[in-house]
Amino acid sequence: MMTRVTFSLRRTRLIAFNTVREAARQKLYGFVGVLAAAFVLGARSLRDFNFGAPELKFLADCGFGVMAFFGAALVITATAQLFFSEIENRTVLTLLAKPVWRAEFILGKFIGLAFVAGVFCTVVTLLLIQVLASREAQLLRDFPEASGLGAFVSYSNVIFAGVLQWLKLAVLAAFTLLVASFAQTQLFTVVTGFFILVIGHLQYLAQDAYARGGSWLGRGMSGLIATAFPNFQLFALADGLNVGEALPWWHVARVALYALGYIGVACGLAVVSFRQREI
Amino acid sequence: MATEQHADRVSPALELRGLIKDFSTGLRGLKLRAVDRLDLRVEAGQVYGLLGPNGSGKSTTIKMILGLLAPTAGHCEVFGVASTCVEARREVGYLPESPYFYRYLTGRELVRFYAELGGLHGKALAERVAEVIATVGLTAAADRRIETYSKGMLQRIGLAQAIVHHPRLLILDEPTAGVDPVGAAAITELILSLKAQGKTVLITSHLLGQIEDICDRVAILDRGRLMLEGAVRELVGRADRQALLVPTLPAAELQELRAWLESRGHTLEMVAAPKARLDQIFLDCVGKKK
Repeated sequence: MMTRVTFSLRRTRLIAFNTVREAARQKLYGFVGVLAAAFVLGARSLRDFNFGAPELKFLADCGFGVMAFFGAALVITATAQLFFSEIENRTVLTLLAKPVWRAEFILGKFIGLAFVAGVFCTVVTLLLIQVLASREAQLLRDFPEASGLGAFVSYSNVIFAGVLQWLKLAVLAAFTLLVASFAQTQLFTVVTGFFILVIGHLQYLAQDAYARGGSWLGRGMSGLIATAFPNFQLFALADGLNVGEALPWWHVARVALYALGYIGVACGLAVVSFRQREI
Repeated sequence: MATEQHADRVSPALELRGLIKDFSTGLRGLKLRAVDRLDLRVEAGQVYGLLGPNGSGKSTTIKMILGLLAPTAGHCEVFGVASTCVEARREVGYLPESPYFYRYLTGRELVRFYAELGGLHGKALAERVAEVIATVGLTAAADRRIETYSKGMLQRIGLAQAIVHHPRLLILDEPTAGVDPVGAAAITELILSLKAQGKTVLITSHLLGQIEDICDRVAILDRGRLMLEGAVRELVGRADRQALLVPTLPAAELQELRAWLESRGHTLEMVAAPKARLDQIFLDCVGKKK
């Protein structure tokens, strides 16, 4: 008797866990993590390049810059590699020959990749907090009169900014996965992933062009780009704030909803595309 | 529900009707027909051989049965359920040609992973994983990483993952390719034991001797078309001829026998010493030591 096979979170979790396990065994990703950690821990030695910014602000910017740069590189290459390794090594044949929905495969991959990005952001954020706390304590020792001015660093801000970076990387992973779902090569996926990253960072230009008006074609194109691609500038809220200022939580919540919306759409399209794919 | 049960009882394990698969090639989208109006019916409990040269459409047919490729036209059903439905794959176990598994997993972890995907969990999961690992003879190596496995061990762990979720139909694509005769014999024995358990097996192999030994029926494909289909016994047997096996006769007695047969209107067409099969000699020498 054939019973109905419904979408299973259990199978999705299994695929996600296997994706994390595979990523953990890849030396390259470990190397990227170590490199990022080294940059954060060594940020104080780069303070001569602060361009006039206060030292603690510079350290925080340095940490989030490392998180954004290495995180993007990690997420794009890991998404392409972990997806195509299943296709090229034909493990996807035995996996999809079991009663597994293709949606479970795509969502499992996404959750696994988001988890990897989460571990990366958590480690870098914790290291950054350690670097900031250590320098703040040293400054307070050197300038005890400044202790009356209150805390130099809002650590909740640093955590919020880390969460936003993670959400940005999750959106990037979802978009790269969407490309991988129909791409024929890993290289195409990686290159397109980086294009999406650049477009996402420059997306505000399209929004400006759309708002300014102009020809219908120009408005149409800029409107399309402004809608189809996420605005990654929104996730860099910490950039516009001094380290000691409080980040409004509702702003973080709005950006999180914005990220979840894009993740939902990108993963949904990836499922539709992957269902059509002939393996 | 009752209708489903009834359909299940009367449905063959596998039924392909007018199955066609075209691939587009090149920028101009020229069609390459990989499978051409294929009709096949595999009854439950049979071991069925799918034969053909490279590029004859065997693997494409298997991928359509597994729902990995959508047919261009025609129907493909597994126990009465369209192969494009996920439900059909609950009843199917698949061993791909030259299987590559997650090499960083141990054999036990791998089988457990596929068992959980197949819907097993709890106490039944651990018991079933241990059981199938024992069935394929890999208990001693179960906690070693897959990357340390030999080709024969990979095929056997592949078989374990294929059977772990109790499928009724097994699809084995070249299960003995690249495996030494001892390993191939072990896999053959496993296939026969699965048949004894009532499983249906669809097997492709270039080792026609092996196919002849274990298959009930075979289909021969060429360029995507079905060239020949039938029971192995009927295809290879000659109902109008018999071979008698006796100890070697002296020449005089052989002459007497020939005369006796001729006196009754028969002809002794051939006298030859039977040959032992080389694979059997190999197994007798090596297999026993193992």
